[in-house]
Amino acid sequence: MIMALSKDKVGIICCSGEEFPEGTISRVATRLVLEKLKPDETVTLCLPLFLAGGEDERAFARVFPTIAVDGCSKKCAELGTTKFSGKPVATIVVSEIMKNHPELKAKSREKLDAQEMQLAMKVAEEIEKKVDEVLCKKVNK
Amino acid sequence: MQESQQVSSQSVEKPKVAIIACAGMDKALGSVARTTAFIVTEKLRPDNTLLVCIPPLVADVKPNAELIKKYPVVTIDGCAERCATKIVAKAGARIRGRIFVPQSAQTYNLKPNTASDIGQEGEKLAEKIAEETAVLVSKLCEGGLK
Repeated sequence: MIMALSKDKVGIICCSGEEFPEGTISRVATRLVLEKLKPDETVTLCLPLFLAGGEDERAFARVFPTIAVDGCSKKCAELGTTKFSGKPVATIVVSEIMKNHPELKAKSREKLDAQEMQLAMKVAEEIEKKVDEVLCKKVNK
Repeated sequence: MQESQQVSSQSVEKPKVAIIACAGMDKALGSVARTTAFIVTEKLRPDNTLLVCIPPLVADVKPNAELIKKYPVVTIDGCAERCATKIVAKAGARIRGRIFVPQSAQTYNLKPNTASDIGQEGEKLAEKIAEETAVLVSKLCEGGLK
């Protein structure tokens, strides 16, 4: 998997937690980054596979920078990545971003309404900023 | 009278089954697993199930690890890696049922679109699997969850 990547990539590892709506926001935001905002610069690492022992996922996270996207303060994506590959270069916590946007609420764990999609886009934009920072730092090194 | 009835209904805990889905980010069938878990826990068997996240089980977050030891577990896996089953087994859970979404997709001949949007067939597949899972939950609850 790593050999096939010809340019710099950032791995996005999101919690996708099922217990809270914020987990769904983290998942949708990650997909927005992968599919719309930074399709050429990012890949996703499947957290359950990573945690279950997926060697490709773990090897990627050892070689390439990663950004953890966590739904809540448990920060499972960050903790899991740190435990098996190395600390992510950045961690985005949805519940923290929500504090800056009190008008946007996360209510659903399944399908997001227009307001929740807006929140997911805000989170996606934060991830995008971090991706730019990480890649910029790599170029400047 | 009313008060004592309320207290007594609260003190009897309903039998519960923990549902753990893979929720894989990469594959459409992972999204079907996740949707299935929501249908079971929110619509079909809300009183007899609880949804438990996978990542906290490995990240050593206590409440989740305790829940899967306390209640019998049904895992829903989206691909052949079977991460939900692997992680839960390693965490010491009592696995009483395993759902394998790719097999159900073949059985029902339904193909979800993508991980972001499972589409109508994906939704239908999730409903079918959720119905099977709900039956399994009922059996486990009727059997005294041994």
